[in-house]
Amino acid sequence: MADATRELYWDGAQLTLDPDEGGRRLAIDARCVNGDPVAGCFAHVCALPGEDARIQFDQPEVQEARRAALAWWIPLLGDALVCLSTFSLDSVHFAGAVTVARHPRLFDHDPFARLFPGTVVPTGLFSLVSPPPGPLIERIAGAPWPGGRFPQVDPAVP
Amino acid sequence: MTQSPAREEPVTTIKEEDATINEEDAEPVAELTPGAAFPDVQLPDHTGRERSLSEIAAGNPLALFTARGWWCPKEQRYLRELVELQNEFEVAYSQIVVITIDEPETQSAFRAGLGARFTFLSDAERRWIDRLGLLEDTDTTHRPYRPAGFTLRPDLTIHSAYNGYWYWGRATAEELRQDMRAITREVRGDWDLG
Repeated sequence: MADATRELYWDGAQLTLDPDEGGRRLAIDARCVNGDPVAGCFAHVCALPGEDARIQFDQPEVQEARRAALAWWIPLLGDALVCLSTFSLDSVHFAGAVTVARHPRLFDHDPFARLFPGTVVPTGLFSLVSPPPGPLIERIAGAPWPGGRFPQVDPAVP
Repeated sequence: MTQSPAREEPVTTIKEEDATINEEDAEPVAELTPGAAFPDVQLPDHTGRERSLSEIAAGNPLALFTARGWWCPKEQRYLRELVELQNEFEVAYSQIVVITIDEPETQSAFRAGLGARFTFLSDAERRWIDRLGLLEDTDTTHRPYRPAGFTLRPDLTIHSAYNGYWYWGRATAEELRQDMRAITREVRGDWDLG
């Protein structure tokens, strides 16, 4: 599942893909940073730099935030949405989420801010990614939701 | 005293853009029967983003429904069944898609009212309805989709097809569970552990 995941670093004020710049290591859906970067965006980073700021992905409040993202957060953002990913630390733990949009006006509504406080960061780091279609909220092989994809099996091959 | 405006008819205007589909694209597809490939329909979703079925499936089984529109009492009832079922789909690596002729804005409001978290696709411009052979020609006012259901493998091959013109023809929750089980067994290499 390594291809589905990229690591970025968060020091509480800045996001970077460069590990040498320091900050807490967080895994995100790789599609969010693998495409052409969209300039002039804003990231709402709902995460803390401290290593103890973590919750298990399977906790009900984390499930509910993902449901809220599908039900109304993504529709509310509309065309402003650039991409969205949860942060994972390992195969079990959730460390928050990032929503990237063309303007920051709706970030006060971010359902992931119920779990970890949000910080608005101007950014040109992220790519345009179609949001998850729903209703699937589960992670795939430990990749940060909504990333990952199961290997395909051809039913015709015994 | 001003008079209230007349209730707006839920009629979607047929736009001139319909004529932009070229002849090759406009050819009707083969019958939508088990074993056939369902076309990789591309339409705007309830937020207005263009989406294809293969993108939505993303390697997962998919339950696809065509529905008349928000105004139909049968659809209101059936879609509530799907809303119940989404609580299983959300953890079962499977997707639900509903196609109607409503505009995305209308779908988004309807979806929110239902409490749905799955995707609606809008064929307000009737780009696919004839090609799929799913025009409900008994309703000449709305020209909606005929209610139908298809359970699809991740490659969009049809596993089962349901004709929902009469309400009792629609797939029950249990039939959908059985279809999803059969498809998942086929496509997940680790179904039989050990």
